[in-house]
Amino acid sequence: MKRTKGEKIFNIFNIIFLTLLCVIMVYPYVNQLAVSFNEGKDTMLGGITIFPRKFTLTNYCAVFTNPDFLNAVIISASKLALKTVLSVGVTFLAAFSLTRKGLPAKRGFTLYFMIPAYVSAGVIPTYILYRYLGLIDNYWVYVLPGVFTFYNMVIMRSFLQELPSSIDESAEIDGANEFQVMYKITFPLSLPVLATITLWIAVDAWNEYNLTLMYITNRKLYTLSYLMMQIVKESELAQQMALQASMGNTNVSAAPTPDSVKAATLIVTTIPIIMTYPFLQKYFVKGITIGAVKG
Amino acid sequence: MKTAVTPMKLCSQSPWKKHKIALFMLLPAIVAVFLFNYLPLLGIVIAFKDFNVILGMWDSPWVGLENFKTIFIQPEMLKAVYNTLIYGVTITFGAFPFPIVLALLFNELRNARFKKFTQTLTYMPHFLSWISVVGLFYTFLAKEGSFNQMMTQITGGSWESNNILLDDKYFLPIIFWTHVWKSTGWSSIIFLAAITGIDGTLYEAATIDGCGKLKQTWYITLPSIKGTIVTVLVMSLGGLVTTSFEQVYGFQNLFTQENTEVINTLIYRQGIQGGKYSLASAFGLAQGLVTIILILTANFISKKLMDTSIW
Repeated sequence: MKRTKGEKIFNIFNIIFLTLLCVIMVYPYVNQLAVSFNEGKDTMLGGITIFPRKFTLTNYCAVFTNPDFLNAVIISASKLALKTVLSVGVTFLAAFSLTRKGLPAKRGFTLYFMIPAYVSAGVIPTYILYRYLGLIDNYWVYVLPGVFTFYNMVIMRSFLQELPSSIDESAEIDGANEFQVMYKITFPLSLPVLATITLWIAVDAWNEYNLTLMYITNRKLYTLSYLMMQIVKESELAQQMALQASMGNTNVSAAPTPDSVKAATLIVTTIPIIMTYPFLQKYFVKGITIGAVKG
Repeated sequence: MKTAVTPMKLCSQSPWKKHKIALFMLLPAIVAVFLFNYLPLLGIVIAFKDFNVILGMWDSPWVGLENFKTIFIQPEMLKAVYNTLIYGVTITFGAFPFPIVLALLFNELRNARFKKFTQTLTYMPHFLSWISVVGLFYTFLAKEGSFNQMMTQITGGSWESNNILLDDKYFLPIIFWTHVWKSTGWSSIIFLAAITGIDGTLYEAATIDGCGKLKQTWYITLPSIKGTIVTVLVMSLGGLVTTSFEQVYGFQNLFTQENTEVINTLIYRQGIQGGKYSLASAFGLAQGLVTIILILTANFISKKLMDTSIW
């Protein structure tokens, strides 16, 4: 297609604008990366942009020697794994079930699942009920409550509805029961949507901190993102970590400061996601477009 | 004649029996939703009671609408309602056009690799938790941070370096722009998908008729994605009376907390931290009711106006 002069100029501006936008999107993170590798006292002089000026690893030492750190990593990783597996399983089974032809009371079940997407009890009534259920200060509060979400089920259901139903039917004629159809036919065909939902749930599970804030007081159950929240929000904690790390360290100028400890903690917490998502991007995006088509 | 009856019976087999395995598969979801979504609804009664931990949910005395009246008396709560509305309206309407514009710009890119690259980078902030975003901006906006340095350079030294995060008058701009920063890229996906789905012959016809790019955008692209725009807007209207707890709580600090309290954060502070369970429940319930009314009204209007319903 031939382009007019105006279009060419527009294109150049478009490319420049989007490049600038990318810089804005990435700069705060790169800046944080530079600060996390820079000597804390030097950072306080200002002027750190995208490279560390006085390279050091002491900030990371402060993070890794924090006695709560290892425990928090274990809690975060294990709850992520459990929550993801259980949640994807429960959601998939429900979506499969609700796409069976002739399932009785299908509308009723759908309504039952849909209502909580709009009506919720609110923070405090939920808190009170979780107390009765014994979920306060209980590891399972990370895993069980959000195990089923209507939105994820709708995305999966939309995907399953697009699968050709003739395969299911012929399998049923051959005498396969619904479990066999699910396991042998639908499951292998649904891997793309399962990948999408798995990644969504995993990222949320890794990032959320308010479950700990609301329901957990036991230090042994703190997650990594909660630990980071504390370090970011409470300077005293970062101060303490910085002090502990600088004790026994002969090089005084390299001693970490609260801000440099914050930066290092943030990088450690976010790097697993930042490093993996570009490669898995197409799976993340796929679910959104499924949702867009079906509404 | 037993054999003659059997096929009849097979045909009229109850659907419950026929689908017992599928129904069984539905069971975990049913139980989970019942326990964690429906059962907590019972807890709403404490909004009408003077909840006492020792007496428990059922034996605490009823107080009627007393808790709801308190909401309108406590200046703290009125302030939180006011802040929530201001923040909610600004973010819902103010941030709304950004992803549409971004999707239009993405759509004009012809170089597939550059397009992929810019998309990947603009989606990045979506994958950071709010608390990471707070951490990043604490560094960026710090007194000796990049923002102040940049402003000093632009203004030629007349800029007074300050940490704007410690000043509550910048709180709204900060949560607005960090919201835009975090969500614009990711939200553009749905609009870009809608634009990609537009019939290409429409543009060809317009080009033959001598329509420029700008006119094509205005008369073809935007009307074609109208449905998507309305749906996304309607779905976000609940946001008018809510704010992201993780965002606001994250950005609050000792200097700004007093004047930036919103409903969510006040419920947390008064309820879970302060133990005023009943008052906080009433507050949450009032907010929840308004949210539902807003969503239902918005959906009703969009149905009437455009035949676009979210259901």
